[in-house]
Amino acid sequence: MGTWTTVSLPLPSSRRGLRWRGDRILRFVMHDRILGYLFLFPALLVIVGLVAYPFASAIVMTFQAKTAGAPGRFIGLDNYRELLRSEQFLRAVVNTVSYTAIGVGFKFLLGLSMALVLNQERFGNNLFRSFLLIPWAIPTVMSALNWRWIFDDASGLINNVLVRLELIEETISWLSNPHLAMLSVITVVIWQGTPFFTMSFLAGLQAIPKELYEAAEIDGASVLQQFSYITLPRLRPIFITAVMLSAILTSAGIQFVLILTNGGPSDRTMIFPVLAYHLALGGAQRLGMGAAVSLIFFPILVVFIVFLTRRMLREKGE
Amino acid sequence: MALRVTTQRRVLQGVGNGALVLMLLWTAIPFYWMIATSLKHDKEIYGYEATLIPQRPTLENYATVFRETPYLLFLRNSLAVAAGSTLLSMVIACLGAYAIARLNFPGRAFLARSLVFTYLVPTSLLFIPMFAMMSVLRLTDSLHGLIIAYLGFDVPFCTWLLMGYFKSVPVDLEEAARVDGCNRVGALLRIVLPMSLPALVVVTFFSFTHAWNEFLYAHVFTSTTSARTVTTGLVNFMSQDVFFWGPLMASTVMSALPPVLMFLVFQRWVVKGLTLGGVKG
Repeated sequence: MGTWTTVSLPLPSSRRGLRWRGDRILRFVMHDRILGYLFLFPALLVIVGLVAYPFASAIVMTFQAKTAGAPGRFIGLDNYRELLRSEQFLRAVVNTVSYTAIGVGFKFLLGLSMALVLNQERFGNNLFRSFLLIPWAIPTVMSALNWRWIFDDASGLINNVLVRLELIEETISWLSNPHLAMLSVITVVIWQGTPFFTMSFLAGLQAIPKELYEAAEIDGASVLQQFSYITLPRLRPIFITAVMLSAILTSAGIQFVLILTNGGPSDRTMIFPVLAYHLALGGAQRLGMGAAVSLIFFPILVVFIVFLTRRMLREKGE
Repeated sequence: MALRVTTQRRVLQGVGNGALVLMLLWTAIPFYWMIATSLKHDKEIYGYEATLIPQRPTLENYATVFRETPYLLFLRNSLAVAAGSTLLSMVIACLGAYAIARLNFPGRAFLARSLVFTYLVPTSLLFIPMFAMMSVLRLTDSLHGLIIAYLGFDVPFCTWLLMGYFKSVPVDLEEAARVDGCNRVGALLRIVLPMSLPALVVVTFFSFTHAWNEFLYAHVFTSTTSARTVTTGLVNFMSQDVFFWGPLMASTVMSALPPVLMFLVFQRWVVKGLTLGGVKG
């Protein structure tokens, strides 16, 4: 503030008021502008330094043969060519799509059911809600470790119980059986991710005015009709936001696969972030190849991201 | 007709109760197994004598964690990284959000959009170039490196969340203060921030738990024990293919406790903040 204090000069009294007012307006505008950029500068620095620059350098990297700490050598489109020819990459594409679709699909259905259930009147609902949300609050790594132990070949909970009930004679290798591994991992994804949907949908349900249902009831609408003509349309915007956000985070989520199966057995659970991780940081440290994997998937993600950006800003009235 | 709807509701209530019980079990069983395992002797964990309910509960696993692993160091590191990145991102986000919410300058809308966009770019797209960058800057294996790296997520998210909240603080109050000789910084500190306390709580919760829970950057940027956090230190227990599940589950319980307790305390605000934008879908 201090730097902008005007020093009053001896001016002819007729111009003095005018000058003073103009100065004040100028001062006001200058303040907003300069202060605006000044205030946003650190945030801008973060965006540029920690997202924009790394992203741009990832693009450059995909055209290079590069290891960490060493300068890259330009090799044109070789990384992309090699990837598109590799069976492992194609498998990762298929896996990522089914992993995301099944995971998000079940999270959505379970989340919606739970939101509807918690929206019914019931003693102790608040307590149940808090409890059901805990899987979301637990660090993902901890859930992954816990589930790895639950699925354990020899002494895990599932095998333990199944043997006890004499349903199986040999224990089942949930995470290393090629037919079961993917389903096992998706189960964990659903366990951890359902609360997010429950929370979002429940908030949406509670925002629907009760009068709508009362009016429909007077008109003789059945519960199913009320659901499909009032509840579903009202929840639609939340459906879209939640599904898109979850699709981005599920497909790009690396922790469950990394800890539960590490992409195995024989790439059955290999999804793109894990493949990128293996190529870039496993043995050969081919950073360019790893970056290329992520970048091929970026166009799909970016559609979701742009769409969501618009929605999230609209909700904030920007 | 009205009667029929009432009957339908009664049936649905029954179905709902049943579904709720199933869902509670599905949610609770993994927790139970985690806690039960942490309280068992090895004899009850593996082999023929394995039990479902700990017969002779023991805290031995917890003692083992503290005695034989650098768990205290991991805890300290996690706390330092979480506190550091939360504090920094709070300051940066408050300033940025205030600028976008209140100050009029060219490029404001564009900056708001890039913030949200940045927040939505998942870290698994960025960890490879980030790793290369951190190596060049010699910020690998350091808590400072992690604090800086986490800002890339925390700042956009916090700014976006605060921005919406700041806008809801009545402008009149601020203008009144400014007429009384308060400048922009004073207005932010004395009027806007105190009125945005719930949002500040949410933002603190999110950045703190994000840093506490983060795995990928912490795992990729760190190769020595000295800079490991709770999440990566644990995984390292099993990287040698030696699973001692008792101590592992004991440390899992302890590491999950802080974010869960924070969540339960701040739940009301967190749910509101989460439904606005959400993290961890």
